Amino acid sequence: MNVFEWSFLAGVLTATAPVLLAALGGLLCQVVGVFNIALEGQLLWGAFVAVVVSDLTGSAWAGVAGAVAATVLFSALLSIPAVGLRADPIVIAVGLNLLALGLTAFLMRQIFGSGGTYSSPDLTGLPDLGELGLDVPVLREQSPLVPVALLLVVVMATWLTRSRSGLRLRAAGQHLEAAEAVGLPVAAYRHGVTLAAGALCGLAGAQLSLGNVTLFSEGMSAGRGWIAVVAVMLSGVLPYRLLLACLLFGVAEAFGFRLQGAGLPQQAADAAPYVITLAALVLAALWRRKRSHEHA
Amino acid sequence: MRLTPSIAAAALLLVSLAACGGTASETGTEAAPATSIILITPNPVGTNSFLQLGVKGAEAAAKELGASFKLYESKDPTSIAQNVDAAVRAKPTLVVGISFSFDDVFNTVPKANPGQQFLQVDSCAKDQAPNLACVSFKEHEAAYLAGVEAGLLSKSGQLGVVAALDTPFVHRWIEPFFAGAASVKPDSKGTPLYVGGSNPFSDPARAKSQAQTLTGRGVDVIAAAASGGNPGVFEAVAASGAKAFGVDVNQCALSPGNVIDNVLKNVDVAEAAAIKEIFGGKTGGVKVYGLAEGGVGVNALADDLASSGCTVADSPDVVAKVKQTRDDIVAGKITVADPLAG
Repeated sequence: MNVFEWSFLAGVLTATAPVLLAALGGLLCQVVGVFNIALEGQLLWGAFVAVVVSDLTGSAWAGVAGAVAATVLFSALLSIPAVGLRADPIVIAVGLNLLALGLTAFLMRQIFGSGGTYSSPDLTGLPDLGELGLDVPVLREQSPLVPVALLLVVVMATWLTRSRSGLRLRAAGQHLEAAEAVGLPVAAYRHGVTLAAGALCGLAGAQLSLGNVTLFSEGMSAGRGWIAVVAVMLSGVLPYRLLLACLLFGVAEAFGFRLQGAGLPQQAADAAPYVITLAALVLAALWRRKRSHEHA
Repeated sequence: MRLTPSIAAAALLLVSLAACGGTASETGTEAAPATSIILITPNPVGTNSFLQLGVKGAEAAAKELGASFKLYESKDPTSIAQNVDAAVRAKPTLVVGISFSFDDVFNTVPKANPGQQFLQVDSCAKDQAPNLACVSFKEHEAAYLAGVEAGLLSKSGQLGVVAALDTPFVHRWIEPFFAGAASVKPDSKGTPLYVGGSNPFSDPARAKSQAQTLTGRGVDVIAAAASGGNPGVFEAVAASGAKAFGVDVNQCALSPGNVIDNVLKNVDVAEAAAIKEIFGGKTGGVKVYGLAEGGVGVNALADDLASSGCTVADSPDVVAKVKQTRDDIVAGKITVADPLAG
């Protein structure tokens, strides 16, 4: 395989990683029946805190830890009203997405003294795997969070199907009353999972702002969290299918760039991920309908 | 779920509040001078170097003219219209709007307020009223010069541009760049890629992926015209050993050793000159600033090249060729095709 194709696969992984991490968080929420559409806001918030902490401490790993911690806190704004007070998670999530956009722009002015984009030669990003000794094609220029994301898919799939706690979690999501009746602490599950999803979104944000690039720019999540939401909807709450859905977007994006280079208009290449989303949603809906007919 | 309607209402309120945006800040309000300038930006100024220059130019002109200066920052099309309304109500001597984002508003508002003078920088409303003056730039001339540098410095002869959007205006940074390169390296090949997506002017991650796509194909010089995405392009070239060009202002310091030069637009110079002309009574009309007027340029032509941090400073022969090309363009020996005119 020549350089061109390796770099294509690397491009797919780079585009996929932040979406996948956020989507894993969304999937966890879905398992316990919390429909989380705040992924976009959580991702942006994580990306922002990662850059701030890395800038202050000079350590990218401190940035990652800070992003995880801060996004868990941010997620409490979803879990407390949505799980504790039984408010509509969709409405709260919409608020959180707007809050993240405004808050990061505001804090950026307070902390860095300017808005727009913050980048600096002093800002430390995550090391490349190549620098850490894993000098193989495709992975060479990825951050360590990329293999972590792939590994998390396997871990989550195994945990949800093969462990007692994973099965209980799924039970809580599938039939709330039944799970409560057998004495499962459903509310605690939901709180915990929503916060854990925040941690994953924090990782996603750190990957975006310290892995994919080393800077923060206002609104840099640029719809990736929404693509993650769609990936969750397509996945049928199965981690491996979630990985496939996220890879599909990564391929669409990386392939779109190449089609553009070959002369396809930008507007058409731009539409590719959304066309794929729409087609996948329609197919998933048709499939679900067929299945429900079979059940009936 | 009884909470839902009230929360929905709160969320709606939040949305509408966010849409209102439009913050005003004041600088220099000494006992209300007789003349005044209100500058409206299409976006928050922040680190947007282009808007910073716009503010700098207007402030400098106001100071020189003894006028008071106010800055209204907008967030979106709605807040632009609101800010223009507010500015007109304040009855200043001159209302200045920056960028093509004012094309629609300035089609109608100047006509409705014939007594008020307006200035649009970096674009012009289609239906220009006599009380609207416009400042526009020949960016393509500077892009051509950058192309000459790129052609001379590229080893592979493969050039690229990472641009924000595939719109006619943005093409001023693309075709002239490739034409300049072809003028010194006839077999050079240019590939443009566009960031696009849901945040084309601030998506460094996508801009970086695109620059990587280009370098993966053997491109070794990339012109960045992606606004907030430019730092992403610089990161990609730094990792692959390619070189880049910045845009609007000196971006060489953002990625030391990786940026050859910049396609400069001296918004401050042109804007201050236009404001002074309007205060002097020369209202309306379109003022175009090209290489000849010093409205556009590259750092290779600047006096402070040595301290600019741009790598072109290490190639005196390239700088000499750029100077000669600039003179030829100014003298009319070379005409740079304007993609907007085509």
